[in-house]
Amino acid sequence: MLTVITLAILGLLWGGVYLLMATGLNLIYGVMKVVNLAHGDFIVLGGLLAFSLFAEAGLNPLAAFPIAALILFGIGAGVQFGLLEPITAAGSEGELRSLLATFGLSYVVANASFLVWGSQFQSVPFLEGAVQAGPIAIPAGLLAASLAAFAATLLIHLWLTTTITGKSLHATAQSALGAASCGIDVRRVRLLAFALGSAMAGGAGALVITLIPFQTSTGGELTVHAFTLIALGGLGNYAGAWLAAELLGLTEVFAQFYLGSNAAAAVIYVVFIAVLVVRPQGLLGQAGRV
Amino acid sequence: MRDRVIEAILLGALVVLALVIARSGSAYVAQTLFNAALAILLAIGWNVIGGFTGYVSFGQVSFFGLGAYIAALATMRLALPWPAAIGVAALGAVILALPLGLIMLRLSGIFFALGMFGLARILQISVSAMRATGGPMGMSFDAAEDPHICAAVMLLVAAAALAGTWLMLRSRFGLRLLAIRDDAVAASAAGVHVWSVKVLAFCLSAALAAVGGALYAWNLGYLDPSSAFNGTIELQSVLMVTAGGIGTVWGPLVGGAIVSGLSTFLWARFPMEQQIVLGGLTMLIAVAMPGGVMAALARGGVLRRAPIWAPPPAATAAPAAKATAAPAPTRPRPDRPAPVLRCAGLGIRFGGVVAVDAVDLVAYPGELLAIIGPNGAGKSTLFNLISGFARPATGEIVFDGKRLPRLRPERLARAGIARTFQTSRLFPSLTVWETVLLAALSLHRNRRRARTEAARILAEVGLLAHWREVPEALPPGRQRLLEIARALALQPKVLLLDEAMAGMSAEEIARVHAALRHAMEGGSAVVAIEHVLPAIAPLAARVQVLDFGATIAAGHPHAVLNDPAVITAYLGVEMEGATDAAA
Repeated sequence: MLTVITLAILGLLWGGVYLLMATGLNLIYGVMKVVNLAHGDFIVLGGLLAFSLFAEAGLNPLAAFPIAALILFGIGAGVQFGLLEPITAAGSEGELRSLLATFGLSYVVANASFLVWGSQFQSVPFLEGAVQAGPIAIPAGLLAASLAAFAATLLIHLWLTTTITGKSLHATAQSALGAASCGIDVRRVRLLAFALGSAMAGGAGALVITLIPFQTSTGGELTVHAFTLIALGGLGNYAGAWLAAELLGLTEVFAQFYLGSNAAAAVIYVVFIAVLVVRPQGLLGQAGRV
Repeated sequence: MRDRVIEAILLGALVVLALVIARSGSAYVAQTLFNAALAILLAIGWNVIGGFTGYVSFGQVSFFGLGAYIAALATMRLALPWPAAIGVAALGAVILALPLGLIMLRLSGIFFALGMFGLARILQISVSAMRATGGPMGMSFDAAEDPHICAAVMLLVAAAALAGTWLMLRSRFGLRLLAIRDDAVAASAAGVHVWSVKVLAFCLSAALAAVGGALYAWNLGYLDPSSAFNGTIELQSVLMVTAGGIGTVWGPLVGGAIVSGLSTFLWARFPMEQQIVLGGLTMLIAVAMPGGVMAALARGGVLRRAPIWAPPPAATAAPAAKATAAPAPTRPRPDRPAPVLRCAGLGIRFGGVVAVDAVDLVAYPGELLAIIGPNGAGKSTLFNLISGFARPATGEIVFDGKRLPRLRPERLARAGIARTFQTSRLFPSLTVWETVLLAALSLHRNRRRARTEAARILAEVGLLAHWREVPEALPPGRQRLLEIARALALQPKVLLLDEAMAGMSAEEIARVHAALRHAMEGGSAVVAIEHVLPAIAPLAARVQVLDFGATIAAGHPHAVLNDPAVITAYLGVEMEGATDAAA
């Protein structure tokens, strides 16, 4: 019983980290209707940047978190400006082309990271002790990472819902045409959304690398993780995203413990496919015709 | 015809050249050729599902890996000779692809692509966990002895696959694939069994990938999970197809030659940077030249897709044949015909909105029923309920004397309920001829019969002279006419027209009237939604008016149009003092 409770707490904490990953992708998909297949590679890149900041400059991962986010913000802006904005085709052709573009991008990012960091697993040691709560021991690193991720997601959520710029992102996500006719510079909003989404990926990476070691080829797996969350939560549904993140965290932690890490990886994919087939509209609500 | 000869000679010459090189070159040359031909075969397989059917997959490598493992296990455990093992691999892949396709093809767009990616990873993890396959370390077995023979076999297989897609694109199967890629909803309205065609294409694509995998295993004599389910194979296929031209016969070959040449060069000189360059190239193609090489060639008129079959020469030779000279009605019209369609109490709601509320509708053979009503009255939704695109929550439909069970749109279309759409849904890449032929083929198995029928209907609506054109080249009125022709080619017992005559010229309306009269003489019932009543009034025997999802009036056109309830629905009620307030 104690094991189950501990695992449940770990799963819920992991959910916080997943939430940060998914919110970034949700933002990008919501505003641009573009799927970024390099999202996972951005996460890995953020993590590896945090690794270098730690290894070269001795920077604490919590300090590396904003720096990695900032660098990815710049990369995201560049990608949007140079790669995705020039694709003007509408409908399924536009979807296909942006898909191919980010598919190519994911290989470029992953292999460029490979040239820099090599193929070995990297990780950042951080708060290796445990917080004791009665009979339950919670890894301090996970707790800190999870709280940081929750805080960042909350801040961005507040920014999205209360500021004018945030609201213009929201408006563009719901109807680009409507937003444009209200005088919103939709191009600028798209740039901001992609950059911000990428920054969240980078930040999430800086936190996750303290928990699990990264390899440059981990990206594809993380992309599917992020998409599982989106599919599970329903598009643009923040309550759904949170629920999905917690569920995925629990699934992963329990599967790891009871089935081993290899099978756990397979379980995530099975959940992903099953969710898409059984509830393509997500767990909550009917949003997100895809 | 000339194009076909050129294409056949081109293909033959390439194969002979490659075979000569494969036989006489060094082992290294033979291996390089093998790799190139394998990549081209995989690209051809990917193109069948990603290009022709429009389901972009990031996991066709699943079937490559499965094929490789099945073939290897068949030679090791069952001691099958390699040719048989390759056949078993193809068969095994199809058997596995069938249930997988039934699940995966329910997904669309990006989610299909990523679902397939997930499938490849699931398979990789599963195979790593199996003892029979040697787990993560892989297994070795007897490979082919002579690389020259290997290369020759690979080349012949790739050439056969290319010839196969070439033939496929000239068959009714290819026509249906293209229609589904363009617009699956319109394809099912034209009577195409969208689901089975998609699954078939998925299985075909899987079989090609599996044969590739089996040949790869035969060539190498060693397999491990991470190379059998290697994502780079996927990247290469996607890149080849898009570089060459997605959804074209020659795209995989052209793209394959370019990309495999490039990647061989890169692998020799810059092994570390190879994937960066390939990924960058994919980005470049997506941004700068989406149609690939073939689109550039097609713009110059080279190797453009030839139309699938052609109208019978006799039909095009006499384009002036008038619609009135059409053959005799197929079904005699009795004096008081029984209704062919009877809907009772049909209803559906979307959330809190009752879109259609207990509507009754009766259609008689040889008669036109006009449905009118303000925007949002539920007219199009009613059509969706009748034609199987939406399921009624309440009520029943009796068609041709039998109560209709819940059927898919294509079944209804084949049974005789044809429809058009409020905003035209035509197939951008099919010609006028192919559009109508597609529907005619849903009804006639016989090829000659289908061609004759399609040509007759095109002549009737006056579009036969335009048979080679794509819909985009037609003015809007003619596009509508083409959609009606597509519906007529199903020889409907009930024809549902959704504002078919909006935006038509007087001459086009006259064409439609003639065609509808002819269809009704043949015993068809027509139900037509129209906003512009004069466009339909001369033909209408009865008018039914909908408002807020319910019938508010029905009967003879003249009587209905003077009904106070109808006038209120269209013009509103004059409010006491409204004019004062306005002043």
